[in-house]
Amino acid sequence: MRKALVLAAALAAGVSTSVYAQTVGVSWSNFQEERWKTDEAAMKAALEAGGATYISTDAQSSSSKQLADIEALMAQGVDALIVLAQDAEAIIPAVAAAADEGIPIIAYDRLIEDPRAFYLTFDNVEVGRMQARAVLAAQPTGNYVMIKGSSADPNADFLRGGQQEVLQAALDSGAITIVGEAYTDGWLPANAQRNMEQILTANDNNVDAVVASNDGTAGGVVAALTAQGMDGIPVSGQDGDHAALNRVALGTQTVSVWKDARELGRAAGEIAVALAGGTMMDAVDGAIMFTTPGGNEMNAVLLAPVPITRDNLSVVVDAGWIPQDVLCQGVSGGPAPCN
Amino acid sequence: MTDETTEGPTIVKPKGLFAALEIDTRLLGMIGAFLVICLVFQVWTGVNTQILRDAFSWDPFAWLTDGRFLTPRNIFNLTIQTVSVAIMATGMVFVIVTRNIDLSVGSLLATCSAMMAMTQTLVAPGWLGLGLEHPLIAPLAIVVGLITGLVIGAFHGWLIGYLTIPAFIVTLGGLFVWRNVAWHLSGGQTIGPLDGNFQLFGGINGTLGETWSWVFGLIAVAAALYGLMSARRTKIAHEFPVKPVWAEVTVAGVIAVAILGFVAILNAYEVPVLRLRRAFEARGEVMPQGYTEGYGLPISVFVLILVAVAMTVIAQRTRLGRYIFALGGNPEAAQLAGIRTRALIVKIFMIVGVLCAISAVVASARQTFHSNDIGTLDELRVIAAAVIGGTALSGGIGTIYGAILGALIMQSLQSGMAMVGVDAPYQNIVVGVVLVFAVYVDIVYRKRTGS
Amino acid sequence: MAQNNIDRSGTPLVEMRKMQKAFGGIRAVDGVTVDLYPGEVVGVLGHNGAGKSVLMKMLSGALVRDGGEIYVNGQRAEINNPRDARRYQIETIYQYLALADNLDAASNLFLGRELVTPLGFVDDARMEAETRKIMGRLTPNFRRFSTPVAGLSGGQRQSVAISRAVYFNAKILIMDEPTAALGVEETRMVAELIDELKKQGIGIFLIDHDIHQVKELCDRASVMKNGKLVGTVDVHVATEDDLLGMIILGKMPEHLAA
Repeated sequence: MRKALVLAAALAAGVSTSVYAQTVGVSWSNFQEERWKTDEAAMKAALEAGGATYISTDAQSSSSKQLADIEALMAQGVDALIVLAQDAEAIIPAVAAAADEGIPIIAYDRLIEDPRAFYLTFDNVEVGRMQARAVLAAQPTGNYVMIKGSSADPNADFLRGGQQEVLQAALDSGAITIVGEAYTDGWLPANAQRNMEQILTANDNNVDAVVASNDGTAGGVVAALTAQGMDGIPVSGQDGDHAALNRVALGTQTVSVWKDARELGRAAGEIAVALAGGTMMDAVDGAIMFTTPGGNEMNAVLLAPVPITRDNLSVVVDAGWIPQDVLCQGVSGGPAPCN
Repeated sequence: MTDETTEGPTIVKPKGLFAALEIDTRLLGMIGAFLVICLVFQVWTGVNTQILRDAFSWDPFAWLTDGRFLTPRNIFNLTIQTVSVAIMATGMVFVIVTRNIDLSVGSLLATCSAMMAMTQTLVAPGWLGLGLEHPLIAPLAIVVGLITGLVIGAFHGWLIGYLTIPAFIVTLGGLFVWRNVAWHLSGGQTIGPLDGNFQLFGGINGTLGETWSWVFGLIAVAAALYGLMSARRTKIAHEFPVKPVWAEVTVAGVIAVAILGFVAILNAYEVPVLRLRRAFEARGEVMPQGYTEGYGLPISVFVLILVAVAMTVIAQRTRLGRYIFALGGNPEAAQLAGIRTRALIVKIFMIVGVLCAISAVVASARQTFHSNDIGTLDELRVIAAAVIGGTALSGGIGTIYGAILGALIMQSLQSGMAMVGVDAPYQNIVVGVVLVFAVYVDIVYRKRTGS
Repeated sequence: MAQNNIDRSGTPLVEMRKMQKAFGGIRAVDGVTVDLYPGEVVGVLGHNGAGKSVLMKMLSGALVRDGGEIYVNGQRAEINNPRDARRYQIETIYQYLALADNLDAASNLFLGRELVTPLGFVDDARMEAETRKIMGRLTPNFRRFSTPVAGLSGGQRQSVAISRAVYFNAKILIMDEPTAALGVEETRMVAELIDELKKQGIGIFLIDHDIHQVKELCDRASVMKNGKLVGTVDVHVATEDDLLGMIILGKMPEHLAA
């Protein structure tokens, strides 16, 4: 059984036996999703730079397959594991097994509710802070509308929490007032658009700024604002969607907080090499103690995302995230690099 | 149902006002429910506005006049928010009437939308070298979308009709397949902004304007009056019983007032000054002092009206429609009557596919971009609209206007709640309860009337 | 009621020769030959499962035969679906009143053969007028033309089905237990109607298992058992006991065996 697994994993990973001193195993939850390919490239590069071999498996959205995948990776003698967990809790047996064998495990992007794992992600609360900060800088007074994410997604509330931290002082002083607030069912732009239309109607268009929690909802908000000739008032977002970055260039969206996947992949590679080399989890560069929603204290590195505004649009082009012609479509005399 | 006791004279003894007018009591019930919803939200928003202004009063009349729900602007909003689901719901009526179901409409919408988005941002401007904002782009994209919907719908129909795979299974598969085909087509990206002419179909970005809206209204009234008159003439020619003249005149009057009133309301919604000023600036002119302009009928609503008329004609005036209802009423009888039931199923799903494509035009144009998740869960809203509108899942019964009203009722509940600040989870609870309650009322109604 | 003056010297209206139909391994109809002359009523008798309905469904196009040949007026006929049968002016009135319950009488009467306006739209007014005419002849008191037939009585529903056959000039009529769902008065009405149709030279296959009724309405009776034809007899010669014996024992009575 074990041999069969080893063989299967070796075939799946498509790698020959180790020529490097260290091997790092990566278990993806669903590699079919476009974005992980970006992460993988950065991760591989960082591992190679650190002198480690990259092997990987794909759980194809099945938490049980992921458990078997990780067993197989350990059977190949990996020195560290990077896991994009399909499920924060179902993965715990694998963490326990890895801990028993003394293999460090990195929870990549998604939380694993186990203090023995090392958590690496972008700081979602910070994303919320950045959104609010950018909007507040552009519009320090007046009526605010908060377009939140899906009520079923805990991230929606993390984001909203971060936004509140930044806006609190201005709310207390009465400089700004929240005149409308709505969850967006399923994060759907169409729902955000309808909610925004209804809030505008209820408030006779007396709205000065919108804090939207991602780029999709921001798209819906901007469509509703455009219909009233109000496009151009501050609107936030996140994800660095191509359409949203184009809106930033056009001036209809203030900020799109961008989580650079390559940054995350690179950090994961470096941390994996460090941990495999015997570095203690709490001694990793930049590590902090993070309290999970489940009440666990774990070592973590929370990367700071980059708020993309009209002042730093070149960043996304230079990073190869978006071609310049896509970013600047329909923009004339805009900010760099669209001028 | 009113003329069964006559003995040849051409005037019926009316049993009551509504009986004399020969108006579907079920339709009246739905309109009544809709009006109640409107009034509740009108009062609720009125109270909210007063509280916001720190001017709360106990005068119910003031609540009504301060309300925001029954304003031209909100009625305009409601109509354009309803269009996409309503268009697909008319097709869902045919599907459910023939005792089938279509779970794939939301995903099909996404695939059509992705095809059209790629056509207008990549294929036409780039590969065909038309460049952005070329006048041919929008028609080309729409044709591509319609063909996509037609072909996929025909394929579904073939699987269901000829391979006899249950519609539930075929379209459940379609739900997964087409959502992800859409994702694949767009590479997971949000595509936009869409072509300017294409955006005209999105609602507020394209309206007929005041004059043309009035023209439309007058033509619609004339058509309705002509329809009533020719129906009466036919009945007299065949010596069928007819309504008393006063009843005909009343019905005609109500229809005329409803149509022209609707146009007047949409015309009363003035284009925001900010938007007007920008439009003038874009043309290099200065906006005259005090200039105003009404929106009028949105093109998307015009499209819905065309779809509604066409689908009603199909349902009531063509063999196709007759066979659809016969198949739903008694599949065996339909087959024994020589109806090609398999081909009929293919035709029904082709109609649904085309309607999904039309909805995709409206939905993506309204957003001004194509997003991967466009149309998510629409299948459930569409089915709910058809069912709230009186389409029976047991087959054979359903009306086009019912489905549209059903969509309007659901949308007004959701939009009204969004307006008064009831949050999404609670909105869904209310819509779910209303769905079950509506079906219960329908069952009771059918038992009472014995049909 | 039925008179024994049928001229059987000419070409039969319908001839079904060596008809075969199997479902899985079961031979529902096995080598059955029957015929029908103008103005004649032939009863098709047998227990449930004897194969009489299956035999008739091959004639009405509801089932496609596995073997055998059908001749209409001496010409070989290819009947593969209900539309083919209608071309040969074969109409069927089914036991379970095959009507679409949600449609009105006119829509049912014209189902599959709607009258259309020059523009191709269904002409409801003309269809209703025609329905009023034809049904006025059969059931003068009928008034509920614009309600779904679900609300009609069994007799009224049956008269819609019969009107359909009459309106489209059926030459050959298949009636599958036409009176099974009817009361006494309505049954009498159907009997009168059958007599009327006979006089017009229409040939009728009458599927039934009420021997008394067969004696009364039919000229000849073809009895089936286990998919095979037991025999065809003149009902004016055969007694009720003879018919009963054929149905139960599957044997021709000796005094009738020619």
